[in-house]
Amino acid sequence: MRKIGPVLLVLVLVLTTALSGCGQNQSQPDKTDGVIKIGAILPLTGPASATGVKLKYAIETAQELINGEHPEIDLELAKTAGLPNLKGAKVEFIFADHQANPEVAKSEAERLIQNEKVAALIGCYHSSATKPASQVAERFGIPFVAGSSSSAALTERGLKWFTRIAPHDGMETKLFFDYLKYLNEKYNAGIRKIAVVYIDNEYGVHAFQMVEKEIQNYKADGFELVADVKYPANVSNVDTEVQKIKAAAPDAIFHASYIGDMTMFVKKYKEMNVVPKVVLSYCGGYQDPQFVKNLGKDADYFAGPNATTSALFEKMPVLAKINEIYKAKAGVDIDGPTLEDFASAMVIAEAINRAGSTDPAKVLEVLKNHEFAAPYFVSGKIKFGEDGQNVYSASVMTQIQNGVYEAVWPETSQTKEPIPAFPAWDKR
Amino acid sequence: MNVKNFRIDTLYGILIVILLLPFMNSNINFRHVMVIFLIFAGLGEAWNIITGFAGQTSFGHAAFFGIGAYTSTILFYKFGISPWIGMLAGAVLATVISVIVSYPCFRLKGHYFAIATLAVAEIIKQLFISWDYVEGATGISIPIVEESVTSMQFHSSKIPYFLIAYVLFLITTMTARYIENNKMGFYLKAIRESHEAAEALGIDTTRYKLYAMMVSAALTATFGTLYAQYILYIDPFMVFTLEVSMKIVLLSVLGGLGNIYGPIIGAAILIPLSEYTRVYLGGTGKGIDLMIFGALIIFVACFEPNGILGLLKKKRSRRRGDVYARADA
Repeated sequence: MRKIGPVLLVLVLVLTTALSGCGQNQSQPDKTDGVIKIGAILPLTGPASATGVKLKYAIETAQELINGEHPEIDLELAKTAGLPNLKGAKVEFIFADHQANPEVAKSEAERLIQNEKVAALIGCYHSSATKPASQVAERFGIPFVAGSSSSAALTERGLKWFTRIAPHDGMETKLFFDYLKYLNEKYNAGIRKIAVVYIDNEYGVHAFQMVEKEIQNYKADGFELVADVKYPANVSNVDTEVQKIKAAAPDAIFHASYIGDMTMFVKKYKEMNVVPKVVLSYCGGYQDPQFVKNLGKDADYFAGPNATTSALFEKMPVLAKINEIYKAKAGVDIDGPTLEDFASAMVIAEAINRAGSTDPAKVLEVLKNHEFAAPYFVSGKIKFGEDGQNVYSASVMTQIQNGVYEAVWPETSQTKEPIPAFPAWDKR
Repeated sequence: MNVKNFRIDTLYGILIVILLLPFMNSNINFRHVMVIFLIFAGLGEAWNIITGFAGQTSFGHAAFFGIGAYTSTILFYKFGISPWIGMLAGAVLATVISVIVSYPCFRLKGHYFAIATLAVAEIIKQLFISWDYVEGATGISIPIVEESVTSMQFHSSKIPYFLIAYVLFLITTMTARYIENNKMGFYLKAIRESHEAAEALGIDTTRYKLYAMMVSAALTATFGTLYAQYILYIDPFMVFTLEVSMKIVLLSVLGGLGNIYGPIIGAAILIPLSEYTRVYLGGTGKGIDLMIFGALIIFVACFEPNGILGLLKKKRSRRRGDVYARADA
């Protein structure tokens, strides 16, 4: 036995530890009376952990609003403690970390559904993680409400149990062209030539595909694609990319970039004196408040869609109050993706409340048919279409002016007028 | 009883324990851990053939893993061909690519070979990222069809996935064991100990290293197919990533290099540890799980560079002299 002993011992020890851990988890009593569990799968570690932690704060803010009494906030669930239609049951969000890894997202979704007995799932920020996680939800027949995952492919899969708050990149692209049209018509901006700069991952490549597709519908308005520049995800120098852009001399540049690479590009634009009229960014680096911190004055005049901006707080009292609670936790103002994940938490809680139970079929029916009030969004409401996509674009076009994200379009929610031109870099 | 019988008993004992475990606990997360454990233990065994036995350190096994995953997925996604055929096709393709890649790389020795494998894997990853036919960076969601053995999709239970993983793991372990105890294994170990001495004895070193690489690549690719069918989504960042290569290296080294028990022990510790630290601590958002995970690896690396198996052997050899421990190294 001397030989078998140690090896088997290690194996059995490790696995029994695992077993006992699981057993505990599984034998956890079904505490649905009084507490409704909802799983939130987020990138709490890994490359996007800074964002993931902010999303967690936003969801905790939602939990606080739902479970506490906040009569001063004009939101259905904020006024009462817990869910009124379920005898004041409290909502508990169970957080799980997917580490930006699809395999982990899948296994966490399974664990939350089977072991934690969650009534619904929200998350996952990365579209590549949302894909397998929502497939698990589909298989178990559990509602999945995605907040900020933006890949259009998510709602093209024909899933029954999947809904999404954020506008997808196809909608964003349409928004870009409509905004440029608006600038041309109102300000005679003369924007024709468009360049697309994008990172070579799912987010960037898909955004570019959407531009290729959408530009066909805007040919009559004179828009043409003059350059498409793809760069690797771990890029450390963008000299050649920026030279290509400069050579094409575009009027407008569309960026699908994260904060690090976006910062690099702007510095290089300055160095090589690239002066387009407009730069529009897909939900990514531009929307991160760090963009202004990194670049200071050089961040001015850049633009992009955003679910919210602090300039809007004055106009939107509900949003300002939500931000107060959020800011106490996170230390910064609430931003676009964060607000979208906040919305996903509010929407699923409201759907459960309206359904009057956690029965997935009833919750799904509410999700698919009800129009949710969302006074924290410029659009003011959320309604899911047949494919699960929120039909109201939750975004407003923002532009950085004097270091502040100002809402510039549509005019109804304008905090400042747009400036459709870049001044020379040395005249700032 | 002689030493060899003991070793066979140990292996069979371990295999039976592994087979029974998921039937003793129906927890979905536990069964998931078992599937991933078998996949990575199998990958470690396959990697062990080229690195543990032949001493050629490969940091690029994710390339073969990814090729296996992509071949079956593309065949199923574009042509509706069963993943089982895809699995074989992937293994063949990985073998061919391993020959093309390794033949020139085998001119390099030691660290240079390791760096070359790393570079090749990165190149293949970049190719897949920008290759439109395989959907590039957007990845492929494998179309969900009715569960069946032919489609290698099982939606109601993880047991079929576990059994497939078990069979693949068994095939890999037995292949490694067969090689270890036969002429080829001795040749490979001779090459590992001294390249020049092996050549002087008349061993065609390049040919045997190539054989080892081919077997290792083919086996690695089959796990890629299973992994893709299990997750039902793949993108280049997931299967071609350095993280996969490193996980294979890490668990084999942690368990003990150049021995068929090494990857099993390594995976049995590493996989549950990473899963359960994440499950219990991941939700805090503080990364505590990864810190504990990292600390343990540093601990083992500092105090027992020969892996857990080395630790066990050392204890035993202290008890009965050094002869046996060396003999089965």
